[in-house]
Amino acid sequence: MANAIFDEMRQSNGLARSHYTTFDTWLKGISTETVQQKQTEADLIFRRTGITFSLNGDEGGTERLIPSDLIPRIIDAGEWALMEKGLVQRVTAINMFLHDVYHQQAILKAGIVPAEQVLANAQFMPMMLGLDLPHQIYAHIAGVDIIRHADGSFYVLEDNLRVPSGVSYMLSNRILMMRLFPDLFRRYAVRPVEHYPALLLQTLRSSSWVEQPTVVLHTPGRFNSAYFEHAFLAKQMGIELVEGSDLFVRDGFVYMQTTEGPQQVDVIYRRVDDTYMDPLCFEADSYIGVPGLASVYRQGNVIIANALGTGVADDKSIYPFVPEMIRFYLQEEPILKNVQTWQCRHADELSYVLANLKDLVVKEVHGAGGYGMLVGPASGKSEIDAFAKRIKAHPDNYIAQPTLSLSTCPIFVDQGIAPRHIDLRPFVLMGDKTRIVPGGLTRVALREGSLVVNSSQGGGTKDTWVLEESEAN
Amino acid sequence: MLSRVAAQLYWMSRYLERAENMARILEVGQSFALVSASDSQGDDAEAIKEPLVITDTLAAFEAKGKPVRSDQVAQFLAWDPDHPSSIFNCIQASRENARSVRGAMTVEMWECINDTWLELLSRQKKMLRNDTVVDSGFFEWIKQRSHLFRGVTFATVQRDQPYHFIRLGTYLERADNTARILSVKTRRQAEEGSDMVDDYYRLGAVLRSVSALEAYRDTYRDTIDADRVAELLIFNPRVPRSLHFCLDECARILSQLPQQTGREARKRCANLLTHLRYGALKEVYALGLEDYLEKFVEENIGLAQAVQTDYLEVLS
Repeated sequence: MANAIFDEMRQSNGLARSHYTTFDTWLKGISTETVQQKQTEADLIFRRTGITFSLNGDEGGTERLIPSDLIPRIIDAGEWALMEKGLVQRVTAINMFLHDVYHQQAILKAGIVPAEQVLANAQFMPMMLGLDLPHQIYAHIAGVDIIRHADGSFYVLEDNLRVPSGVSYMLSNRILMMRLFPDLFRRYAVRPVEHYPALLLQTLRSSSWVEQPTVVLHTPGRFNSAYFEHAFLAKQMGIELVEGSDLFVRDGFVYMQTTEGPQQVDVIYRRVDDTYMDPLCFEADSYIGVPGLASVYRQGNVIIANALGTGVADDKSIYPFVPEMIRFYLQEEPILKNVQTWQCRHADELSYVLANLKDLVVKEVHGAGGYGMLVGPASGKSEIDAFAKRIKAHPDNYIAQPTLSLSTCPIFVDQGIAPRHIDLRPFVLMGDKTRIVPGGLTRVALREGSLVVNSSQGGGTKDTWVLEESEAN
Repeated sequence: MLSRVAAQLYWMSRYLERAENMARILEVGQSFALVSASDSQGDDAEAIKEPLVITDTLAAFEAKGKPVRSDQVAQFLAWDPDHPSSIFNCIQASRENARSVRGAMTVEMWECINDTWLELLSRQKKMLRNDTVVDSGFFEWIKQRSHLFRGVTFATVQRDQPYHFIRLGTYLERADNTARILSVKTRRQAEEGSDMVDDYYRLGAVLRSVSALEAYRDTYRDTIDADRVAELLIFNPRVPRSLHFCLDECARILSQLPQQTGREARKRCANLLTHLRYGALKEVYALGLEDYLEKFVEENIGLAQAVQTDYLEVLS
């Protein structure tokens, strides 16, 4: 398999791909000392700006730097154009699916998606039935995880529609690279990403019918692993960073308590999971939610982005149906491919999965962040056996996919330069129209051979460059 | 701005000021014990307890069952984890408040408060290892960190609501502290009568604890006597830790905060300030200095409560 892995920078003959040739020449011209010095400088800049994340379950919320590698991941203009089209197509279909399952349920009646898999899904929210949202948008922000397989084409791994994070690293990586290597940006026409917060604010504002809506960012608080990002985005957009206790409901509207008195809130960009949003409606012991919020939402007096109940579309048991959604709603062929997925809920697929665990990646249906998954080829027999027991106990909870050979990109390591596996998370914004910044967040599995890119599991990031025009002749 | 964010900035600076004041009280307490030990043995227990009386923590200290020695008192007030206003807990509370609203302050401010906390932790480790006593070096360090934070704030932050709430916390806390020190330090003198040498040390200590010895000399150019000390620390509008000065600042800050809220706070502040601006020492003595200061502390707490209700609390 090793020789089948796609290298983003080099062709199989070792020569740099056309969009990497300029970089390759530059790279050959700089010394190891310069690289080390820049890396130190980068760490300093990150530390000063406080770009950190805290780990789940870490007492006292210890903060850590997410390592940023200084070799950019470069995407050719033509390749990006296709990917962008595919992303818009996919997220559009997903939004249509969400509107459909909370209204006419045509796709269920047509038997394309099994009704019980939607209606009995823990992420399905009956309170959303019949509620009309502006522009019929549920997933205002999607962070779609894409990988490049050995065959050279892109596959969607996950559509993160609930509270996708990571965009702050995309932005900080760019700031960092421009500060450290201004000369590289003179050699390459790299499409900008720094206006993402402005696009996000436009998207959020356009998601409400109110003329001059007050938008806030709702964070679970500073112990959340993405708190840095919440604070960063709120500051960039110039909106208040609120916690549940800052908000209250009165007479059918949501207010935030300010030093100037209560101020009405029209749009809540929430980074809090559905079930914690309103203790009266969902988890009663949630301290990070706002009592009565769901009822205001039902009355249409506040917009929540992403909408409540959006999770039903990024559930891993629904994921296999996305290509069908695209065909059903848009009458188009999917541009981005889906990874083949076995659903353990079906007896025949379950027996295949159990027989082939050592070759598969098994994931929890509702899992996220790289927790609760099995990477077959990287696991020992005892791990596999233990996991098999868990699957057999709750087959509905698991899906399996072939182990994909994520493409690699070189990174700086202590010994020089070495390839590591990467993925890509572009961010798609949908409101009155679709907005995307070119590229997204490239995540790197820093350990040699590792396929797990999640920051909580020792992953790093890279700046992602989408070029203005094709460098290929 | 959000009430919660304002509250956290306000409490950040109140706790830091409280830590500084505690250091000041302990510092002069210790140096006073040094000079007075030789000639007035009998007074020692009272003098040692004074920091506890000032900070209303005598009962809490006695409950610990530790011997009444100045090092034990200092240990308790500086490090005790069970004492909510120990210097250690104040710095921790200050830093925790800062941490939750990092976005509302400058990087320099955050680094200053965070460095203070980290250094305090390493000092704590040393302290636990060596069983060293809490000495003037430690108090001096706390004072300097507090000075540094105020300076960094002054030099880096926008003159906006966050800045105003930070300063409001400082001055409300400071007024409370000055009133308490003055009350306790002059009580014994009132009970035992005046003695020039004793007065010099005792009142000198009061003045030094609020950095007002030079101000006293410049203002009166005379020996230190209790009436003038009281007058200076209550009524003088130019001494940065006098009640008048602190309340002047509070009034100025309140006038810069949103006016559609905060009516009660402005009213209470104006009332307090009227007394300080137009009052005189003989009115203080008519009531009795201790009672006057006790009343001031109560009214100052009322003002802080009004600030809390008007600006800092979330209704629901």
